[in-house]
Amino acid sequence: MRTGLHGASIRGRIRADAGPLLLSALVVLLVSLLAGAVPGLMEKTADEAVRDAVQRAGNSAKITVSARWEPDDTLNGRARLPRLADDVNDLRLRALDELGSELQAMMRPPVAAVISPTLKVTDGSVLRTFRMAYLAAGDGPQVTWTAGTAPAAPADDTAEVGWYAPPWRVQVGVSETAADLFGVRAGALLKVADERGNTKNVQVSGIFRPVDPADPVWAEAPWLLNPAADADGAGTTRFGGLLTAGSLPDARLAFGPDELERTVVFSPDTTVLTWSAARTVNATVVSLQARSASSNAVDTTTTWRTGLDSVLDEVTAQVETAEVHASVLLAAILAGAVLVLLLAADLLVRRRSPALILARQRGAALTALGAELLAESALVALAAAGAGCAAALLVTGGVAWLWVAPVLVTAVAAVPAYGILHAASATRDRKTPANRSARRWARHTGALRRAAAEIAVLVAAAAAIVALHQRGLGSGLPVLAPTLAVIAGAVLLVRLLPPVTHLALRWSLRSRRPLAVFGTAQASATSGRALPVAALVTSTALASFALVTAATVDHGLAGGAQETVGADVRADLTDDAAATTDETARRIAAAPGVTGVVTGHVTDSAQIVADGRLVPARLVIVDSRALTGTALTGAQALVRSAGDALHEGSIVDILQPGKPAVRLTASGAAPAVGGATEVVIVDVTAGLPAPPNTIWVTGPGATQATDGLTVVSRTEVARSRRAAPLVAGLLRLTWAAAAFLLLTGLLGFALTAAAGAPGRWLTVSRLRTLGLTPRQGRLIAAGELLPVATVAAVGGPLLGALVAAMTTGPLGLRVLTGQVTDPATVLPWAVLAAVVALFLSAVPLLVRVEAALRRRLRLAEVLRVGGPT
Amino acid sequence: MTALVSVRDVHRRFGSGPATVHALRGVSFDVEAGSMVALVGRSGSGKTTLLNVVGGLDRPDEGTVVVDGDEVTGLDEDGLSRLRRERVSYVFQTFGLIPVLSAAENVGAPLRLARTPAADREQRVALLLELVGLSGHAAQRPSEMSGGQQQRVAIARALAASPRLLIADEPTGQLDAETGRSVMALLRAVVESEGVTALVSTHDPVMMALADRVIRISDGQVDA
Repeated sequence: MRTGLHGASIRGRIRADAGPLLLSALVVLLVSLLAGAVPGLMEKTADEAVRDAVQRAGNSAKITVSARWEPDDTLNGRARLPRLADDVNDLRLRALDELGSELQAMMRPPVAAVISPTLKVTDGSVLRTFRMAYLAAGDGPQVTWTAGTAPAAPADDTAEVGWYAPPWRVQVGVSETAADLFGVRAGALLKVADERGNTKNVQVSGIFRPVDPADPVWAEAPWLLNPAADADGAGTTRFGGLLTAGSLPDARLAFGPDELERTVVFSPDTTVLTWSAARTVNATVVSLQARSASSNAVDTTTTWRTGLDSVLDEVTAQVETAEVHASVLLAAILAGAVLVLLLAADLLVRRRSPALILARQRGAALTALGAELLAESALVALAAAGAGCAAALLVTGGVAWLWVAPVLVTAVAAVPAYGILHAASATRDRKTPANRSARRWARHTGALRRAAAEIAVLVAAAAAIVALHQRGLGSGLPVLAPTLAVIAGAVLLVRLLPPVTHLALRWSLRSRRPLAVFGTAQASATSGRALPVAALVTSTALASFALVTAATVDHGLAGGAQETVGADVRADLTDDAAATTDETARRIAAAPGVTGVVTGHVTDSAQIVADGRLVPARLVIVDSRALTGTALTGAQALVRSAGDALHEGSIVDILQPGKPAVRLTASGAAPAVGGATEVVIVDVTAGLPAPPNTIWVTGPGATQATDGLTVVSRTEVARSRRAAPLVAGLLRLTWAAAAFLLLTGLLGFALTAAAGAPGRWLTVSRLRTLGLTPRQGRLIAAGELLPVATVAAVGGPLLGALVAAMTTGPLGLRVLTGQVTDPATVLPWAVLAAVVALFLSAVPLLVRVEAALRRRLRLAEVLRVGGPT
Repeated sequence: MTALVSVRDVHRRFGSGPATVHALRGVSFDVEAGSMVALVGRSGSGKTTLLNVVGGLDRPDEGTVVVDGDEVTGLDEDGLSRLRRERVSYVFQTFGLIPVLSAAENVGAPLRLARTPAADREQRVALLLELVGLSGHAAQRPSEMSGGQQQRVAIARALAASPRLLIADEPTGQLDAETGRSVMALLRAVVESEGVTALVSTHDPVMMALADRVIRISDGQVDA
């Protein structure tokens, strides 16, 4: 008995079967790279997504701390507080302390800002507004005074101002840009007044130039440096005056006691913010907001406001969705890889069958045979996995071993396991029972074993789908749902194929075409092999699933953008510009390429009661026919709700301060407006005050027509979302998964063909001795491969599309597409047709290759080379 | 009697250089129509190569082979296919039946290729199965039959298209002695009943005794 490893045998077998071994190694390498790298890449992408989301959120991701001023009133009026800037700085330090060291590490240095209300410039020139601001961040911002002097305190810096004293003079600095634009000079008095018409005494003490215009401090009041022209579409130009520590107390006296807003602003540092830190940051931010003083507090307790928690909540949901999607795709990749490795192992064992049986007959122990095969496959698999993991390590800095393990185990164990089973069964003393019922029982036992395995797969798939629908995506079974569903479908097709080919054979036997008979006979003889059909169908179905998912996400992004914008372009107007909305709308409507313009009032602060319950919903007051195509009466509303708070038939009361509520009946479903989940659309005739603040514009010229306005473009939103790290990364992974699975499908087909090639061409050769031409022989060979290819090419994409349709909703793709509801499954017919064509065209290609490889094998060999029937 | 098969100075070499194997070295002989000729020789003597060359499954390096008036060595692939379809048939040592087809369907395979009408085909198949003693096994598949029965089906299939020449290479090689003898007797019987010419390679003395003529071949040459 042989017990040790025989190195020469192992080397010889590796040389003889270099092709299949290299193919297995390639699969292991690719999967190790993909599976090993994806989790790491996912983490990097999540970091990018967090940074991207925070950057996109802009000001709403900043943490703003505000506090009321210390009272400055005296018995006869108000006192000038010369150390006001120190108070502001104290607030900055206090906020920094309250923020905590952990959050401080994620934030840029805080900027303290004191900003005045908006004043109107009343010099009779074009519409201009003016604000004053004091900024402090450590020793910044640095400026150079190019004319005049820095704003300074008056001689009496502790003056007291009577209640009815004339406006207190305040000195400001104006940037060079603004000064040049408006012709302001040092020493000039600005004619400005507040919205109630109270004039202010503002003097320009000097003209400044920022030392570093890119200093983030300026972001808190960018209009200090560069006037913003026509930002609201109404022709208004904003500019500002810089306050210094010396002039800040005068600014306070120039306005009402609490009119100056003092804040400390923390901007997230996107260079250090990571996905792993996001949860901690979110929890801390929520806690700070919860602890902060109410807006009614009259003391100087800090009030914390930020949209960072919402931003992080949203990106967390997106990352979690993307992560489970990546897991879904990795599970699909692993399934395809494992099946193709099993096919490669099957081919190797078939090629080695004579040698294995001979070795066994000569007394080799099964353990010794297994050990030799194990040593060989371990050598190849570990080398390939090592290369793949090393590449993954280079790309991501880590390897997800958990995902690599199943493929590695399959690659190492499949050949020895198959080899031992094959050698054992081929050399076993068959003991056929003499009793007929015992023989029948033995026959049925195998069938029952297979049926039990198939039922187990079906039950697991059903359980996974149910779990997915009930619990949504999470770890465990739901993640495997698409893969298990595809495998279950493949099992059913495996069961269906033999009876179908048998039926085809019976049909062809009645036909007059001999090639049809021999082709279907060959197909019928080989269609019972379960593994090739299961592997090919699973690969093509999972590839199709990935392609359908990619198309659904892509289409969903366009739909989400449409929901967010509501038209080709949406202009959100400021309160200043709202008065001229109708005029602006008319101007836009007259522009070339504009096919539709709708104005409306959109607010999220309306108090809406539906069926007796307060519902936070977006109220849209609009010409309903123009927006939705449905003309509503003044007593009707269209509603939309993620839950059941608003539904058709709901009685909707819209509360108005000091007026009776407007009662409406929900008469239909509203479209999504701006991505809101809860929407109430009412007609302008409903009697609600509706100063339009939104313009929706459609048509190819919409973007040009709204030039100069602050607009949201549908194509820009879609492009931006598509380019977002998570979506772009997930789409790349989806395409990569589809490509890999198609590759494994084609490899699997080639392996299937190679495994059956000796028998197939022996039969073709025998048929050629009956008078078949070489071309007819190739057609019969193609006939044998055609059913498997057809099932994979047609059944696979159909199965993939079906599974995608079953799972698209629970997969939560709306989180990525930005849609209010789950996206509809999109079937990319052209791409799926290409998959069908790819696999069907592989049949003649493989047959030609096989025929070319066997050209040297003379037909004469058929008389010499034997084989059972 | 006229010669159905005429082999003249046939050479066949395999390989090249020092490793060249001379399988046939100037073989010449004739086989008369309607006769049964046994080709006898040790393993590696060139029997199978000679059968292949005669049947058009292989081409000689030199020499000519004429079967039923056609020079086989001059036929192209289509011509060889036609020859095999119409005038030459084979019986393999390993039977060579199509596993998913019944015995009757296997026998009818050459008739399908010849586009024989279904009714004629069924009649011919029934006749042949009766001839080989397998009338009751028409619906059985090869896997449900014994080795001897499968070889009988193979002989019936070889006769289906009414060939002029039947080539059999060790037709009893995979059968036990008793079954082999019955297959040999069957071959002898069909040669007489169907008027076919048979060229059979064998080691079996019984077959040699049944043959009209025995050609001995050794080291690629016909013994005088």
